[in-house]
Amino acid sequence: MEGAYDEIISDNPFFIQLKNEYSNVFQHCISQSWIICVPRIGSLNTRVFTVEDFCAHVLVPSDELPETHYSTLTEKQVSVANKVITLEVTKGLPLQSHILFEETFYTEDYIKYKVWCVESPLEPNAKLDNTVTKDCLLSINDCIDLLWTQAAGRQVLDQIEQNIQSFIKKHSTLPTAIAPLRDAVSELYTQCLQSTLQNRRLREKCKTSKHLLENIKLSVESYMQHLLFDLLFKPICTICAYEDSHLNKKIRNMSDIQLRDLDIKKELYHAVPKAKQILSKIDTYNTVLEKVLCLKQALNAINKIDDSNNIVLLTADDLLPVFVFLLIKSGLPNWYSQLKYMKEFRFSGVGKGDGDESDFLITTLEAVIEHIQSGALAGPPNPESYYYESDLTEDNLNTSKRRGSLTESISTCDTNGREETLEYIFDLIKANNSEQVQILLEKNQKHLNSIQHERNALKFNALDNMDNDDDDDDDDDSDTEIYQKLCHPLCNCKKCCSKISKNLLKTSPTVSSRDSHGLTPLHVASVHGKASVVEILIDIGAQINATDLNECTPLHYAASRGHQNALLLLLHSGASINKENIDKNTPLHMAVNNGHLNCVKALIYFAEHGRKKLKINCTNEVGNTPLHLASKWGYEGIAKLLIENGAEPSIQNRNNKTAFDYAHNLKILQVLKSSTPSLYEYIHITSTDIKTLNCKTDNPVTLKLNHLKIKNNEANNASKTVENLKRIERILQAISYGDVKLACFYMNINYENYANAKSTINKNPSCHPLCECQFCKKTHQTISDFDVNFTDSNGFTALHYASRYGLDELCNILVLNKSNVNACNKKGQTPLHLAAINNKTVVISCLLDNGANINALDLSGNTPLHDASEMGNIGATKVLLNYGPNITLLNGSQKSAIDVAKEKLHLTVIDLIEKYANKINIHNPV
Amino acid sequence: MSSAPSGTNNFKVVLLGEGCVGKTSILLRYIEDKFNDKHLTTLQATFLNKKLNINGKRINLSIWDTAGQEKFHALGPIYYRNSNGAILVYDITDEDSFGKVKNWVKELKKMLGSDIVLVIAGNKIDLEHERMVPLDEAESYAEMVGAKHFYTSAKLNQGVEELFLELTREMAERFEKNSQTDNNKSARVLVVDEDTPTQSSCCSGNRSN
Repeated sequence: MEGAYDEIISDNPFFIQLKNEYSNVFQHCISQSWIICVPRIGSLNTRVFTVEDFCAHVLVPSDELPETHYSTLTEKQVSVANKVITLEVTKGLPLQSHILFEETFYTEDYIKYKVWCVESPLEPNAKLDNTVTKDCLLSINDCIDLLWTQAAGRQVLDQIEQNIQSFIKKHSTLPTAIAPLRDAVSELYTQCLQSTLQNRRLREKCKTSKHLLENIKLSVESYMQHLLFDLLFKPICTICAYEDSHLNKKIRNMSDIQLRDLDIKKELYHAVPKAKQILSKIDTYNTVLEKVLCLKQALNAINKIDDSNNIVLLTADDLLPVFVFLLIKSGLPNWYSQLKYMKEFRFSGVGKGDGDESDFLITTLEAVIEHIQSGALAGPPNPESYYYESDLTEDNLNTSKRRGSLTESISTCDTNGREETLEYIFDLIKANNSEQVQILLEKNQKHLNSIQHERNALKFNALDNMDNDDDDDDDDDSDTEIYQKLCHPLCNCKKCCSKISKNLLKTSPTVSSRDSHGLTPLHVASVHGKASVVEILIDIGAQINATDLNECTPLHYAASRGHQNALLLLLHSGASINKENIDKNTPLHMAVNNGHLNCVKALIYFAEHGRKKLKINCTNEVGNTPLHLASKWGYEGIAKLLIENGAEPSIQNRNNKTAFDYAHNLKILQVLKSSTPSLYEYIHITSTDIKTLNCKTDNPVTLKLNHLKIKNNEANNASKTVENLKRIERILQAISYGDVKLACFYMNINYENYANAKSTINKNPSCHPLCECQFCKKTHQTISDFDVNFTDSNGFTALHYASRYGLDELCNILVLNKSNVNACNKKGQTPLHLAAINNKTVVISCLLDNGANINALDLSGNTPLHDASEMGNIGATKVLLNYGPNITLLNGSQKSAIDVAKEKLHLTVIDLIEKYANKINIHNPV
Repeated sequence: MSSAPSGTNNFKVVLLGEGCVGKTSILLRYIEDKFNDKHLTTLQATFLNKKLNINGKRINLSIWDTAGQEKFHALGPIYYRNSNGAILVYDITDEDSFGKVKNWVKELKKMLGSDIVLVIAGNKIDLEHERMVPLDEAESYAEMVGAKHFYTSAKLNQGVEELFLELTREMAERFEKNSQTDNNKSARVLVVDEDTPTQSSCCSGNRSN
């Protein structure tokens, strides 16, 4: 792995002294092929060594166990396991030291000897707590740690952050091709590294240790990637959008591939789930370092111990197929982008030369992607091959047919001939042998009918032909057909018995037979896209909406496999277009998920012309609409088509994700955004999430700058909400001061526009809602994209506040901006309640004019009228009564409005309500 | 092809050959020579690192094993690009595997020219009595294409060490020669290197339109 310890042994003072000053010992070691241990350069606390020191570091293999047991020339016993040397000491704990690496030396005469570089000297007295630099960087935290500790502070980290900030400022738009993008980032990397090495402390340390320098490089790279990732990965995804969507289509269509389809050894099966789990986390890592490590871990997980505790060594022959399988099953939508990122944005490794382990892992990933993309892997040849182990080729088919006919001619009693199995029919369908299928099924059907008739006939006999009406004629035919074959109608001989019993026992498949998975012949024909067979089966009378185990209809299969012809045949024969399977997927879902644009088109156009309603926004079990799927897998064409046909991108699935959230590249986002006719409409419908997503794509740079200041994503979110809350607080405060202009400003509403527009509206109240005249347009322009339905912690909206403080002007503005007039706060009060309590008569009529519910109940069951009477607000009561409230409603304490007023002795209010009650009674005498 | 400032040369070596000829066994034998199974830090025999010091020259060998199945043949270029050396393994008891080696040689010569050091290994000489590939044919072929030929037996640990040592020396020699014969060579190499990125960038450029 990168960052593994390395040093030049021939520069190590210990080794130099041994070689030069004790050359007789050294030569002897070489000639005996003893192993020489050399303590790493940092662990030596002296430059002067004695003969004993050297002798203690020469390992002589033991006679019995030369691989694991050694003795030193100082007669100490040493054992080696797991790259750790354990030295037996006379007292105390045994001394341990890691073997950092092994180097094989060849002399001029090609005599070989081995040197182990060890972590610490193999001497008991040499025990000192040396701060060992971590020799392997495994995560971004390790990298930050390293930079922090080695530079003794966060100056270096700050430096890198500054560099990145100026980079972001400089590149307001990042290049949209991979090469310039890589070059720009590579320049940034160099800058970061330069400013890192300006730190004197670091520079000194790096001079003494090449190993540290390598690690620093890697850390700087990783930290940079960590900070830049979001900004960087989006354009990469966009650049790779085309490749990704093609790869996805290939992968989706192979999604039910099984281990055995890829010739993977059985011993490896058990490890696959774990490896898959590890691998699918690759997109959670930001740095190349971690991503590569993730690949490594995933592959290491495969190398587990089998049942008999033998290590199954993963060879290259096994590795690729397993990796292919893992990739297909991982469910990640952007493998190609991941690969590009790892391949092109790994800078520190380049100096170490190609061919290190990271390079190998990345290359392997590339090979796997290439393999999948090349189409060499056609997926399971027969999609249901994991149901049956079918090894049928045309040849096999012919021989078995011959055998079948042979057996038939030999013994007519054989009911289990090959021809009689459903499997055989399926194989015929796969071979597109439509005639044979038709003949067989029709024959079997006929036979079945005859049995049916026979049974009826028996029934008739028993009932003395009492209820015999319709089937009479047919009956005779079939009767004679069967009974003609018998010796005589009442014959009892063996042959005749077997004939009769065979007919009843015969299990020959028919057009509606199902296998153990509930698949009918029509399913199989649809899976394989055998249009001619589909046609015949439908003619014979196959059940068109038959469902299998997973409640999939043939239409589902035709759609998911991309067989447009079969799909259209099924549709024209009346297959139900919106049928859901067990996961609530419609055929449209299936076609979209597998990227079959032709089928999606077919479904949509058929629905259009056939006057059928295709539910384009229907959701599956996890709440995904077809558009979610198209967006997730990056199918641009399909997404466009769906949008054009009314797909709604703002629908949230069960995880509260919209199609916008799933879009992982800009192209898809643009398609999605193109659909929304005007911005405010969907903002009104959905959460503010979309809006934040929008500004992310529109203006990633500014957002990123904010990001940089706060490392933690959660903290960031929290701060965002805090910011939001502050804004809301400011707005509400402005309203409470009665400052309409300020409030409008905070809400991004153009107050001036509104003020002008207001007068025109009042002058032209006759404009209809969809009017496009200039005045109306103007009012539309005044509408802000800020969601005015925000609430504070008590559930108060701006409209609540405006009502409470009687700002009728603001109320009008808010209502125009789609504020919800019936919004409830935590006490269940609508703005109307507040206006009634505070006796704001103009606001009350304004709210009621705009659709406020006059009989709205708050949590204690009070209507606005209750509130007005309780407060004794004469004006409010008058206005409310003008709008015809229900005065008989009782509140939580079983009191009507008038009861409340009586209780409080608000005489005018009592009077008003009584008058109103009388008026009603006159109009509607009880 | 690159060298760390310390003077350590990194060489990438790919193992190519048909399935079942013993590529992996040769690799394991070479590494196992010092470390038995339990000492392998990585449990996969697909990528292995070996540090050598030949006559004072530090060399870091990265040995890449490849899958031998026919269906993965097309992935060869991905694996062998930037390699300094290739070991082409065949099974002396299997005529076809030698034919495969010839194919690989042709392909490598075409794609990498003389930048790559080739070594041909006839494996499984423990099965000498079942030999199908004539000795002369193999050796004269190797000589013709300018490759060294070795007979190995991963099972008996014969010839494996010599194979790698010779390959390493050859690669080091070639590397030295290349860095000496001014920059002509490296310039040529650069052109080859650039081919791929420009191609990919132009493609992605088209697509972004």
